[in-house]
Amino acid sequence: MGSLRTFIKDVRAAKTLAEERSMITKESAKIRTRLKDDHLSLSKRRKNIQKLLYLYILGEKTHFAQVECINLIASDEFENKRLGYLAAMLLLDEKQELLTLLTNILKSDINHPTKYVVSMVLCTLGTLTSVELARDLYPDVEQILKFSKDRYLLKKAFQCAAKIVIKDPYLASVFHPYTVKIFSMPDVCTHGVLLGVNQLLQSMATVVKSNEFNDYDAVASTILKVVPELLGILKQTNSSTLNTAYDVHGVCDPFLQVETLYTLRLIFLTFKDEVSSYNSKFTSILGKMVTNVESSKNSANAILYEIVRTVFTLESQDSLRVQSINILAKFLSGKDINTKYVALNSLLQVVSLEPQAVQTHRKFISRCLFDPDISIQKRALELIFNIIEDSNMKETVDELVNFITLSDGEERDLILYTVEHLLTMFDIRGIKSKGWTLAVVIRILKSMGEHLTVEIIGEILVMINNATELSDKRDIALQLLQLSLSKDQPIISEDNFGWKLITVWIIGEYANLVLGEPGVTDISLTGYLNNLNNIYSDDHKLIGYILTAALKLSSRISDPGCIEKLRQLVKAHEQNTDLVIQTKAVHYSILFSQPKEIKTAFLEAMPVFIKNVAHELDSGEKAISRKPVQTDLLGDLLSDIPSEKKPVASISNKPGGGSLDLLLHSFTNKNPSLGASAPLTTTTTSSTSDQPVTIPNIQISENIPSSALEIHTSSAIQVFSHVESANQGSANIRLFFKAKSSVTQLAVLVAVSKTQKLNLGTISRVNMIPGQVATQLLTITGSGILKFRIKLSSQNGINLQFDHKFDTTL
Amino acid sequence: MAIHFIICFNKQGILRLGRWFQSSGHSLQDKNSLAQILKLIMSRDSRTQSNIIDFDDRTKLVYRRYAGLYFVMGVSLEEDGLLYLAHIQLFVEVLDLFFGNVCELDILFNFYKAYMVMDEMFIGGELRETSKELLLDRLTQLEKLP
Repeated sequence: MGSLRTFIKDVRAAKTLAEERSMITKESAKIRTRLKDDHLSLSKRRKNIQKLLYLYILGEKTHFAQVECINLIASDEFENKRLGYLAAMLLLDEKQELLTLLTNILKSDINHPTKYVVSMVLCTLGTLTSVELARDLYPDVEQILKFSKDRYLLKKAFQCAAKIVIKDPYLASVFHPYTVKIFSMPDVCTHGVLLGVNQLLQSMATVVKSNEFNDYDAVASTILKVVPELLGILKQTNSSTLNTAYDVHGVCDPFLQVETLYTLRLIFLTFKDEVSSYNSKFTSILGKMVTNVESSKNSANAILYEIVRTVFTLESQDSLRVQSINILAKFLSGKDINTKYVALNSLLQVVSLEPQAVQTHRKFISRCLFDPDISIQKRALELIFNIIEDSNMKETVDELVNFITLSDGEERDLILYTVEHLLTMFDIRGIKSKGWTLAVVIRILKSMGEHLTVEIIGEILVMINNATELSDKRDIALQLLQLSLSKDQPIISEDNFGWKLITVWIIGEYANLVLGEPGVTDISLTGYLNNLNNIYSDDHKLIGYILTAALKLSSRISDPGCIEKLRQLVKAHEQNTDLVIQTKAVHYSILFSQPKEIKTAFLEAMPVFIKNVAHELDSGEKAISRKPVQTDLLGDLLSDIPSEKKPVASISNKPGGGSLDLLLHSFTNKNPSLGASAPLTTTTTSSTSDQPVTIPNIQISENIPSSALEIHTSSAIQVFSHVESANQGSANIRLFFKAKSSVTQLAVLVAVSKTQKLNLGTISRVNMIPGQVATQLLTITGSGILKFRIKLSSQNGINLQFDHKFDTTL
Repeated sequence: MAIHFIICFNKQGILRLGRWFQSSGHSLQDKNSLAQILKLIMSRDSRTQSNIIDFDDRTKLVYRRYAGLYFVMGVSLEEDGLLYLAHIQLFVEVLDLFFGNVCELDILFNFYKAYMVMDEMFIGGELRETSKELLLDRLTQLEKLP
């Protein structure tokens, strides 16, 4: 049997994958047989285990050798032990019962006279800390911390202690004194040892509040002594001039600096009251560090990033927060991709806390849209949507549209994400200048129409349909049609399905507004529909739209030849193999031949779609979502920062079905943000039905204040909201329910977004006669945009839900 | 703050070193995850794409390529990616000093030594020594042992 080296060489030299495979299987089988042989010498065993480890790296099964590791460790020779420990760390894991076999050997080896053996035990223990091992070996680790002067052993012992404390929190009371003691021994305080101390402190801070840890005060008093030392380390490493041993590109030990920052952060969070006297000192050091660290190298940026995180976790002063955001923005302007990526991530995390400060760096953020890395683009996009406000709206939207038109359709997800968010934003903010938003939409449609989903196109249709100014509609119709009908070089790409669909719809709805404009004639419009009808005969979606458009157009034009052509078009589809189209065509044909007066009444342009209307939950099965928009908004409400895939995923192919799922999800999961813990079933209703008809609540005025906003109205009930107070982090909102018809046992469920918590007050009455008002107070705490979803139900048939978003951000 | 795993593989996607720290509870050690990680990393363009990427809902990958070898660390999402880039850099520098101009073959034939370097630097997924001098001192001593 050859050596390890030969084996590795042979495997490498294998010419085909099959040859390699057979070589490996053969060797693996050989090793297995050999290891079974009780008479195999230790040196041969060692050789076999070495090969086995190589097989492990190659991803082979090696479990049969696990006991063998323990045999090697049990040997007296260092050589065997060394390989045994390496193999144990690679092949065993914490869950295995074999570890119990290891306990005794570890216990004796940890007191081995050779420090290298002790060191290996500590390393193994740090890697494979099971609860049992932790409890069996902690006294030995403590002995090392107590007596050893060897910095190699000390640093490992600290790290083992850190792992042990995590496994058994009670042991924190054993180890905490050593975190102070070590600072009295400066000669062994190498950075490695300090890293270990940091880790032990982190473990302590992590466990000390859990499990009703009973030695909290003792640990806290230790911590109080450690904090000045840690601050000292920070100050010293941060300001120290070149120290070659720890230098990383001109920065002194960034690892220790970051580790110490992290430890301090945990301590200041966990022992907030105990260490409050050090707050100002810590802040001033952070302030100095910010100016001290020169951001140009990766390691320096790592420290800066950690400082920023600390500043925001500790709710430091505003000036420091703004300074931190400026640092992050500076990252963005640099060339390093990783730093940019990290900076955008962090900005996303803090944007809700300091929107204004982030706002000032919008230029840099926008520039990241054009970064070649898609994950950077995506984060920049998210961030931009977070900081859009009225003052920069036009400029920002322009940039966004530029971005998607230049992206060449390569990243469809990003385009969809952008368009969808733009439309939602237009919708929610109720942008006043409709003409401008429509122009934006046309731009998007023109260059990106082929990438848009049917749902987004539907949303655009609603937007055009709901435009209040007739002149806006006319403008957009004219623009679309003139481009579509243009005889010159086709401006609109052949594949631009979205554009075509919308044009067809516009011809049906608004032909009368634009007929007579240059190029827009009975003939040209009829020709356009006919042409599309021929080209896309197998696209049922488009054909459906064409049929409607043809029918509607026929009532708006006068040229008899054209009307006849349209009639033929419709008639031809009476034979369509698609049943839906066929039905439509048959119905339309009948309508077609009706007298003009009747037709005209039928074929009026569509009225305004009412958005955000509650969809009735018919028997809890079919929610009739009027528009895909709804689904979208619902999806949005569930998380403030939708993931990249979300826009596509949140749109359900079955309208209604998707939104119902979301709804159920929102109301049934155990999300703490739910106002009522009752699931969608009748619990809430039944709990209130035991109570008297009205719950007297003297203090609450049931007069709806004039400033209250109507957020919902249906045939049964009107809902108003009134923001009573909204400060940073919390808001009181009063809801008023005004009955339009009598209401019995009204049950109100409210959900807020994940970043917020909701406290739902008692409703003043559950039964109402028409005109009566019930009121209820919501207290929302947390961060992010203020929005909620309300679900109302009553015993006499109210069953609806709707969403509302406020302009306020917590 | 802990590393879930450290792996090192070559351009052909063959693993040369791998250490999974069980304490993270999310090791992604199975073949499938590993194949996904390798595929993801190798498909990235080093000039235009960042060296930090989210892998799943718990892990992000921090990686760097040195000649024909990729070094990858899996860490929790909330970790400071830049710091782990520095970790990788330090690890590679120490390997380089220890082997003397390290190359893939050094690591391949002496993987147990490479593991020794790794174990001197990381314990249970935590960095434990940052001084290259001390590390080399220690490693040379260890190498002399039988």
